[in-house]
Amino acid sequence: MKRSEPMSESYYYILLCLAKGANHGYGIMQMTEKLSQGDVKIGSGTMYGATSNMMKKGWIREIISDEPGVERRRQYQLTEEGRLALRTEIERLKRMLENAEEV
Amino acid sequence: MSKDYKRSFKVYSAWNYQKEVEDLNKASEEGWQLVKGGCFHSKFEKNPSVRYRYQLDFGKIDNMARYLETYREQGWEYINSTFNGWHYFRKIYDPSLPEEEYEIFTDRESLHEMNSRWARPALALGIILGMFAILSGIQTIRQPNLPRLVQTLMYVVESAVLIRGGLLMSRPGTSRSRRGDGALLAAFFIVLIAGLAAFFYFSDRRPYMETEQSAASIDQPIENSDWNDFTVQYTDNYYLDLVLESEEPMTFAILDDQGTPVYQKTEKSFDEEGIRVRLEKGHYSLFMSAETGFHVSCRIE
Repeated sequence: MKRSEPMSESYYYILLCLAKGANHGYGIMQMTEKLSQGDVKIGSGTMYGATSNMMKKGWIREIISDEPGVERRRQYQLTEEGRLALRTEIERLKRMLENAEEV
Repeated sequence: MSKDYKRSFKVYSAWNYQKEVEDLNKASEEGWQLVKGGCFHSKFEKNPSVRYRYQLDFGKIDNMARYLETYREQGWEYINSTFNGWHYFRKIYDPSLPEEEYEIFTDRESLHEMNSRWARPALALGIILGMFAILSGIQTIRQPNLPRLVQTLMYVVESAVLIRGGLLMSRPGTSRSRRGDGALLAAFFIVLIAGLAAFFYFSDRRPYMETEQSAASIDQPIENSDWNDFTVQYTDNYYLDLVLESEEPMTFAILDDQGTPVYQKTEKSFDEEGIRVRLEKGHYSLFMSAETGFHVSCRIE
């Protein structure tokens, strides 16, 4: 298997936040802060750049919700490729952790 | 009630945009709120009742609606964009919130990406201008004259500023604010405008002449004849391409308005390009003298 490039923290958390279902940018930001206990923040510039790049890679896609009364209609959804990329990254992080425990 | 406005003509270099952000924040604290940001000219509105924090982003945006929504959902109000791709945002300042609330790039990768969007084309343009500077410099050494010298200096300054700016911008985390930065930025625009103006002014005022004379045989000799004239508008090096062919030695000369030769050649056969002739401001004529059939062609620029 080709060795995959380490993912940036922001990419990783965005994909993680989408693993259980679609979400909008603000929701991703809040969830990331909660998961990381305030350690990781995703500012607007970082969010726009990361989502743009991941849409180009085909890891996520944009969906426009037509639910009435929903204020934020634009949401992001994980694709199969995105799920694979996330799984690969988690495997990589696990291996790194195991290595640390071996030493 | 009429609103109080003020304009600012302060120019910031791209690699020093953090300084602009700091100044905008300071102005907001003093009650002046930015309403339109620009590269050369910004507009502020007096409103001491609010305080904003500002941020700048750079780049071509492929999806403006999504872009603005991404900023809006974190409390950023879009102000405007400049013609060359800088985007101004502000957020109401709440001193009880941590400083990170006012950051838009929260990891090194995305900040680097933004900086590279400016730095990469700047470096590419700087390198292209640098190559022009080298070519123009070689030409200036081989055939020096005023417009070439102006052009070379212009290329050198512009490429140096762009390459330096591109390198500063692409190095994240370094303090970009340096003394003399404003002077360098001013030099960039002054050299660009003055350099182009001087280049066109001097190029436009050079004589250009291409002319030929011949007589097939001894039956139609031309002796001691003036056959063309031209005017030099400023003292400089000018370059002559000359071809002489005749059966007996003939004379070609450039005469000043006193009739004194400033350049003279007597040959049977001669062919040379780029002969440097220093000409003062004034009026000149071409002179030749031949006793047999001949051919002369000459070009002066």
